Amino acid sequence: MLDMAFQLLTFFVLTYHAAPIEGQFLMNLLPPQPATSTAEAPSDKPSENLPTTLRTLPTVLKAGPGGRLAQITVGELSVPVESKALEKELDKYLQDPNLPFDQTLIKIDPRLKYGEMMRVINAFSNAFVNAKKTPKLSFDELGPGEGE
Amino acid sequence: MAGSSNLEFKAEPNLTPLLDVVFQLITFFMLVINFSSDNYDKRVKLPVAESARPVEAAGEGNVDRLVLNIDREGRLLEGGEAQPLHKAVETIRRQAAFVKLNLKITGGKPDPSGGLPTIIVLRADRDTDFQALNSIIKACQANGFRKFAFKAMSSDS
Repeated sequence: MLDMAFQLLTFFVLTYHAAPIEGQFLMNLLPPQPATSTAEAPSDKPSENLPTTLRTLPTVLKAGPGGRLAQITVGELSVPVESKALEKELDKYLQDPNLPFDQTLIKIDPRLKYGEMMRVINAFSNAFVNAKKTPKLSFDELGPGEGE
Repeated sequence: MAGSSNLEFKAEPNLTPLLDVVFQLITFFMLVINFSSDNYDKRVKLPVAESARPVEAAGEGNVDRLVLNIDREGRLLEGGEAQPLHKAVETIRRQAAFVKLNLKITGGKPDPSGGLPTIIVLRADRDTDFQALNSIIKACQANGFRKFAFKAMSSDS
């Protein structure tokens, strides 16, 4: 009995691999055409897919050497690329009652690395939560000459 | 000295506590063993995002999911094979056809947004170019998938 128990224990000890804790960001991404139409600056024209009250905060991410994040433009302004500073800056946009942004569309440089993109999505997600809003994020590829 | 044989003791250790501990350890390992590790591909190094929520907390634990592992070259890792984009698109199209057939058979309804209810779980390497990733996303969208879950590590460990 004890032999069997020890054999079982040895089996489990040897085959045990701690699974990494993975999280995820859930997004509803509509097909490219409707998503692109919301990429423009916030306008008063109601979108077919969105209630009138929703407004989109346009964001552009540009890559530097090695696909690292080089520049972030939120609205018309360039904001810091460092995560904490970016989050602080986003708080200003999302918590300002005069700026009724509660979703964002991020235009991403095709050369940007996924890890860098997730860093920005993480900052946006935190900023939405700080502003007590449900994170609504979507993204699209930055076309050539766009965001200049 | 006739009674000396009566004073002999049999020194047998009591194994019951040991067995208890061993069974508790076995129970622990049985409970924590991860049988669903098939979807993990060790070639993929996920990015780190602290605010990424665990699957259970995200409230979609029972929803049908399709896991796509994407390596740093932007290739889809399917059954040990690294598929280039054209093959990956074909794989996604086949999976979408399977989901649609399954919906038809079971009488399931599509998502309110008009897309398929299956969630595409993207496990992409942190060094994948966005262009390659976006090509996979567009292929999914073109085949009716609307819901995406972007995987990230909750901590750097």
